[in-house]
Amino acid sequence: MQALLLLPHVLGVFTPDWGVGTASFLASTVEFVEAFTIVLVVGLTINWRSSFVGAALATVTLAVLIAIFGLTLLQVKNLEIFRLVVGVVLVLFGLKWLKKALLRYSGRKALHDEEAIFEEERAALKARGVAIPQKIDTFGVVTSYKSVLLEGLEVAFIVVTFGLTGSNSGAIVNKTAQANSLTSAIIGAAIAGVLVIVMGAVVRAPLSRVPENTLKFVVGIMLTSFGTFWGGEGLGITWPHSDVDLLPVIAVYLLTSFVIVQVLRPRTISQPAPPAAQG
Amino acid sequence: MQQIIGFPRAVYNFIVGDPIILTGVLVFFVVIGIITHVSKSLSTMANVTLGVVLIAGVILSLVLALYRETKPKQG
Repeated sequence: MQALLLLPHVLGVFTPDWGVGTASFLASTVEFVEAFTIVLVVGLTINWRSSFVGAALATVTLAVLIAIFGLTLLQVKNLEIFRLVVGVVLVLFGLKWLKKALLRYSGRKALHDEEAIFEEERAALKARGVAIPQKIDTFGVVTSYKSVLLEGLEVAFIVVTFGLTGSNSGAIVNKTAQANSLTSAIIGAAIAGVLVIVMGAVVRAPLSRVPENTLKFVVGIMLTSFGTFWGGEGLGITWPHSDVDLLPVIAVYLLTSFVIVQVLRPRTISQPAPPAAQG
Repeated sequence: MQQIIGFPRAVYNFIVGDPIILTGVLVFFVVIGIITHVSKSLSTMANVTLGVVLIAGVILSLVLALYRETKPKQG
């Protein structure tokens, strides 16, 4: 916080630290993409209102926390419990959707599906031009809130870590150099945030046209992957390549899902219809 | 009283909805949590192994839940 207070004094002599700024930009982009994925998922599958309310509340919480506790909060890197809770909830929720999507893909999902009927009714209402109320969904708000808060805290850590350690790399450490590094890190993170939001706004419309089951399948894979990754970190597992390891986790779940669908499908075809007298 | 009991049940149905998935995921998270907390420091190999076991546990929970749902009903 002290370094932030120095900013007005050094604005006149601000010289960007490109190394710190770039590092902060790249690292923050990864965190923003992670947070935005969950916001997008909640928006597409529950509703946009709940998703935005959760994200906005998280942003306000983050701002309040930083305003009250300042750098002291950000230097305490004890997010494990938070990561663990968010991770477990995401895995459970992701698996629920993944299970349904896999059952549908393999033709095993029961024909009388209340959710499908609900979706049909929604589609019919939409087709007739009837406005569907965007009711605030508590779970959607909480999911969006927790993910944005968690990733927001991580961005704050990145900014502080790069901002404060960047200026210590040289032999001479002074307040001006520290403020320069911190400002560069903040600018890098801010650019990353804006870019990810713009990118998300562009892909939002095409994603809305993806079929319901495909969307639930992808969402199931994403939530399960993020949940496993964050939950693992919460348990104390250090992923060797950091956030890059999310990709093999996603790949493993995708591959397993395709295998599961293939295993379930032949049975559906080869299995003889049960005799009418049975049951 | 009905509402007090109904709320956690609604949350459970909304988030999980499947006892096998809940049990499987929690068992693996608890076991790995115990291992990571008992070990002072983990090597890269140990981290990778635990990560793979966690993923395998999640997949196993899903497979068991799917098996239960798709196995032919007796009688």
